[in-house]
Amino acid sequence: MNRNYYILTAIMFFLALGTLFIHERKVPPEISPGELLWDVLQPTRFVSTDEVAKRLIEKDPSLLLVDVRPASEYNKFTLPNAVNVPIDSLLTPAGQSYFGNPGMKVVLFSNDAILANQAWVLLKRMDFKNNYVMKGGLNEWMKTIIQPKMPPQTAPETAFERYDFRKAAHLYFTGAGIAKAGKSASKMKVVFKKRKKAVVAAGGC
Amino acid sequence: MHVHELNPKKTLWVLILFLIVIIIGFITMKKPLLNYQLSLQQTTKILNDTSNNYFYPYQLVNVLDHENKNVVLIDLRNKYAYGLGHIPGAKSISSFSLTQKENINLLKKYKKNGITVVLYADNQLDADGPWLFFRQIGFCNIKILLGGYDYYKAHKNNLAQTKEDNSYLKGFPRFDYAKVARSKTGTFSASQKTRKPVIFHRRKKVTVAAGGC
Repeated sequence: MNRNYYILTAIMFFLALGTLFIHERKVPPEISPGELLWDVLQPTRFVSTDEVAKRLIEKDPSLLLVDVRPASEYNKFTLPNAVNVPIDSLLTPAGQSYFGNPGMKVVLFSNDAILANQAWVLLKRMDFKNNYVMKGGLNEWMKTIIQPKMPPQTAPETAFERYDFRKAAHLYFTGAGIAKAGKSASKMKVVFKKRKKAVVAAGGC
Repeated sequence: MHVHELNPKKTLWVLILFLIVIIIGFITMKKPLLNYQLSLQQTTKILNDTSNNYFYPYQLVNVLDHENKNVVLIDLRNKYAYGLGHIPGAKSISSFSLTQKENINLLKKYKKNGITVVLYADNQLDADGPWLFFRQIGFCNIKILLGGYDYYKAHKNNLAQTKEDNSYLKGFPRFDYAKVARSKTGTFSASQKTRKPVIFHRRKKVTVAAGGC
């Protein structure tokens, strides 16, 4: 047999041997840095507190609120039905189970939008879609929904309509809407007692 | 017997050509301009490093007085906004042109020379995304200006005094949420204890009705 066949076989053998050193990538799938920057520059990820309040009042089943603050802050106060995924837990399987579910829209929030925005960037890098950031966070929530201010008399009609909505939302959320983490609103039980007839009716018309 | 076994030189040439093609392929393989230098775990850790991430408004005083020449300010807003007003000495590189090759090379040059790059936009949130992006691709010399241009514009005549101010700081609750969101109208709140069931008692007739119409 030709000597060159041996050489060719040896080269192929070494190339095949090289495949043994290719390790399986254990890192989660990531989008390219260029794609990430492009997405980061789009303002479409921000939703207003009004929009979140509206969805909550409508009990939108496709909405999931995620509080990215530390558990100590979450336990003091959070929005109705919000789950707590602190930013350190975003990389754990338990934390990631809330994201990327088909048909679900996840709104991230924190005290303001900074921490929630950073969580969004990390999730975007991991290619999780349908995540949004509540602009202004809980501070803005308090300003606009819990303590709405009447617009000046010269404000356009839409500002008054928004104010009316906020007043209604204020009543909703300071009533049965706001729930402490871990506790659910329980309805009052009304017990009716039947009137007993004491004696046989006597007299009357 | 194969035909090329009659001509061993021909086989050798094919073999050499094969190797040359592979080597040229490796040499000319295009490297991507940007690569993640920090893993996701490392990125979550740097988010807590407040000393290395932020540039405070009062620190601008030294930059504007040309005392600190190791700082370069980059205005991420569009050219129009930059033209209307900007921090003196700031370079205009709008967010959408950040990843152009010449801009990346400029940032690499700053990093090599140990120059701190401070990004700013109208507010902190607008510059937060680009800042976190650059940290992930390895630009550890990039900081973000707290308060952004809006805060600078409002306090440009008294920047040194802003050291005591904390209105530009983000990430803190500005309200006692639980207290503010508590019901003031007496309506039911889940945070309150569950009320006892309401029992209606009817007044009993003491005696047989007497009289009537």
